[in-house]
Amino acid sequence: MNILIPHTWLLEHLKTKATPKQIRTQLSLSGPSVERIEEREGEEVYDIEITTNRVDVMSVRGVAQEAAVILDNAGIEAELKPLKLPKLTELKPHRPTKSLPKITNQPKHIKRIMTVVLSGINTTATPAWMARRLKQIDQNVHWAAIDITNYITHELGHPCHAFDYDKIMALGGEIIVDEAKKGERFETLDGETYQAVGGEIVFRAKDGTIIDLPAIKGTANTAVDENTQNILFWIENMDAKKVRFASMTHDIRTVAAQLNEKHVDPYLAEPTLALGIKLYQEIVGAQVASQVHDEFPSKKEPQQVKVPLKVFERYLGLKLETAVIIKILSRLGCQVKQAGQDLLITPPTYRQHDLKIPADFVEEVARIYGYHNLPDKIMGGPLPLKRPDNDTFDLEEKIRHFLADVGLYEVYTYSLVSEKLALESGFPLESHLKLANPLTDDKVYLRRSLLPSLNQVIATNPTHKDLKVFELAKVYHPKGNKTERPEEVMILALSFRAGYRKARGIIEALFDRLFIYEYDFVLDEDQNKAKIVAKKESRLVELGSISLVSYQLRSTQDNKDWLVNAQIDLNSLAQVIHKHPRYQKLPKTSPVIEDLTFAIPKKVRVGEVIKAIKQTSPLIQEVRLKDIYKDRYTFTIYYLDQKENLSDKDIIPLRKKIITHLTYDFDCKLIGQMAS
Amino acid sequence: MLDPIQSEANQIIKQLETDLEKGNLDQTKYLGKRGLFRKLAQKIKDVPPEKRQQAGKLINQVKKTLETKVRQHLKTPSIPTNSIDLTTPGEKPKVGHLHPISQAIEEISRIFERIGFIRVRYPEVDWDWYVFESLNMPPNHPARDEWETFFVDRPDTTGEIEYDERDPRKRHPSLIGGGKLVLTTHTSNSQVREMERLKKPPIRMINIARCYRRQQDATHTQMFHQFEGLVIDKNITIQDLKGTLNYFAKKFYGPEVKSRIRPFHFRFTEPSFEVDFSCHICGGTGKVNGKKCKLCKSGWHEVGGAGMVHPNVLKAGGIDPDKYTGFAFGWGVERTYTLKPGLNIDDIRQFYGNKVEFLKQF
Repeated sequence: MNILIPHTWLLEHLKTKATPKQIRTQLSLSGPSVERIEEREGEEVYDIEITTNRVDVMSVRGVAQEAAVILDNAGIEAELKPLKLPKLTELKPHRPTKSLPKITNQPKHIKRIMTVVLSGINTTATPAWMARRLKQIDQNVHWAAIDITNYITHELGHPCHAFDYDKIMALGGEIIVDEAKKGERFETLDGETYQAVGGEIVFRAKDGTIIDLPAIKGTANTAVDENTQNILFWIENMDAKKVRFASMTHDIRTVAAQLNEKHVDPYLAEPTLALGIKLYQEIVGAQVASQVHDEFPSKKEPQQVKVPLKVFERYLGLKLETAVIIKILSRLGCQVKQAGQDLLITPPTYRQHDLKIPADFVEEVARIYGYHNLPDKIMGGPLPLKRPDNDTFDLEEKIRHFLADVGLYEVYTYSLVSEKLALESGFPLESHLKLANPLTDDKVYLRRSLLPSLNQVIATNPTHKDLKVFELAKVYHPKGNKTERPEEVMILALSFRAGYRKARGIIEALFDRLFIYEYDFVLDEDQNKAKIVAKKESRLVELGSISLVSYQLRSTQDNKDWLVNAQIDLNSLAQVIHKHPRYQKLPKTSPVIEDLTFAIPKKVRVGEVIKAIKQTSPLIQEVRLKDIYKDRYTFTIYYLDQKENLSDKDIIPLRKKIITHLTYDFDCKLIGQMAS
Repeated sequence: MLDPIQSEANQIIKQLETDLEKGNLDQTKYLGKRGLFRKLAQKIKDVPPEKRQQAGKLINQVKKTLETKVRQHLKTPSIPTNSIDLTTPGEKPKVGHLHPISQAIEEISRIFERIGFIRVRYPEVDWDWYVFESLNMPPNHPARDEWETFFVDRPDTTGEIEYDERDPRKRHPSLIGGGKLVLTTHTSNSQVREMERLKKPPIRMINIARCYRRQQDATHTQMFHQFEGLVIDKNITIQDLKGTLNYFAKKFYGPEVKSRIRPFHFRFTEPSFEVDFSCHICGGTGKVNGKKCKLCKSGWHEVGGAGMVHPNVLKAGGIDPDKYTGFAFGWGVERTYTLKPGLNIDDIRQFYGNKVEFLKQF
């Protein structure tokens, strides 16, 4: 939470000669972070980030208290000024007195209530000095009777409220603490209506009407307005969880709610009430018209914590003098006693929810001592050696570099996709994990395929006519059993705006680079898709697939193109790769190389033809597709015998065998005359 | 009878030399099947038998001379002048590009691997327990507000077991049928998962992964990357954390860059810190030539959070907080990367826009 603190307002609580810049630097190094100093209404205003554990610093007084210790420790003179407030015990109610409403508390919900009736309220305008400060801290200016409560909250950090006293009395003169029932309605003072979900803490009138959403926001039926003559100035300290529950449920995030949900110190109620009385008297001419009502049923004293002195050394890596530790903690409001090798520390009431365990006190000492005063080193000790089982990081890096080097663009696309992209994955929409609270329509489902996102990347770059992209990322497959986490699988996905041979060639080259020796592309029933498989020992591992898809590349209807898509499961791939090649002795003989051209009928698959040629003889070392012209395919054939050089005498029968096989079994026709 | 052979040999050698000078040597003309040497060699049959041995020697010498000259020539090929214009631009091979986030991740991994960190990968769709509860963040705690969390639309199986700060493992996912499923808002779910994997220290982990938060503007995307470091062992102190951060800052940004830690609050670390790196433009002074530094405004860049692992988190991971201490840190990859000199990318959505014009710069 950020808080705005005008410099001169701070100086009302802090006696120091430090410049705003010094205050900024020192506070940021040892306390709350001053993010910037802004000029507002002609004055420096600090914008300070206060962490959720330090509700005690979420006020002008709180920052001053913190700054006094930090500045002083940094060698800049600073001192917290005492509060000058009327003594509550000495207040004499003005006659005629007004009776307080009957208050029925539930102590488990409300830990403290302080209230007083103030009479003679005028609809006075907020004085200029207060209006200026409220503007500096981004608060709206209404009129004094209301603005005083906001001003006090900012100054001291305890929220407070002003009820219209006469409205409360007209409703029966009672305030009953209760839990709301489901479906009950209430209207807040800004005119919004809400329906209770049940369990919110509310105040009721005698007849059960909800007359306040305490610690969060007032209701319209008891709100101060321009006709208000008497107010019930009210402070309650409510159970933080209950505040949080109602505030989050109805999304009413007032300053009061944000403070009260973080355990505001109930002991702050006294100065808050006193300051309220003082300001109402001074500004709107109010008079105290009742006794001060104070019920504090669940008074909780801070717990003493035993902190062994060695804990400080354990965290800081150096030994501080005990006196230094005690001095710092005492300045921060702790009571410290030394008992042998332990310190017995009692935190101040305003920090009892924040300082509970030894490490909490270590932090206090260390930050004030100054983190910059600690040396730097890198830990020695044994190194962990056990790597995770699913470690494919090296493989991924190799793949990335190879693909980028051969011309592909690596992309990062969102794991969250729209309904349209989810459907393009080929999986039914309802089989996707869906967000309960998506922010935008285009990011609702956790994707089960990367390909729709990649194709979209190609579509968003229409002028790049031979764009080839890839991504390494997870897909998310829900499991049948709802009590299991989804399966997250690392996938290499590729999309090519290029011919099939080029696309497949890149994958083949990658496989060669990864020393995968036996792999194949096996045609699926769907003629536009093939499975990619590879051998691991004697079994086949399915790695993924390659397919042709038609894709809308631009917004116009007729501009379709087709893309080659491929996806490979990283974990499967990891099973079939090798980190180094299988070395083969260099051949002592040379291969005989020749080209053969065949006309291949449409119904015959060229992949099958190549396999057939290869299988003709173990002497055929390699068959490469050299060229395609219409239905004519030229193959380059490498004949090799490791023992002796092959001669025409050896080649002729092999060649004949190939030609016969292809002619009779595949209906192919040899083109051109071969030398016999 | 050797004279004719000798004089012809001389002629052939002379001819070869002339050709060499002209730079148009055709070696088959001399040494080919129908070349001049072959013709010369055939003349041996005109030599009387008693002189043949001598003739043979001569011919062999000639062959050697020819071969040597040819070989020498091949070693220093002459380039015809003016045939190649050296101002012609080169033909670059078509290369692609690694995404900048990959480049950053690789660099970050390398830096930490060098000091013994092991890179890990954990779920991105994980139980609330690992993402929040095991990290000392009870259900509905205000500290959770900072993490704009995406929830998966699935029933929460947590049931009736109450959260207990002293025994965080009471509501472990394995005991409650999972619980609530969320998208990881940070990489810190890896902390307890890594403790569970290794069971006991030493732990030196680096986890780099996708994270998700319900926010979107020029500096926030709904998905982004974080890297998380975790070190747990005996005698780990704030000094080790400071040293590690400084080491990273110098390796990643340059030897002149410094790091510093300032107080902060996270529920899962105690003490907690905010981590700043000094600005490489102004050298941490906040000023360039007397004017405010445009990049950092204050001399420092705030990059992320860190802290000493909270005893409750160690307990949640089954590690004895009385025996071991540790530190953790976590930052955004995108932010860390764009603070490098010359990479002032003002809109981080660019990283996920995947425009070729953007990608090809990396």
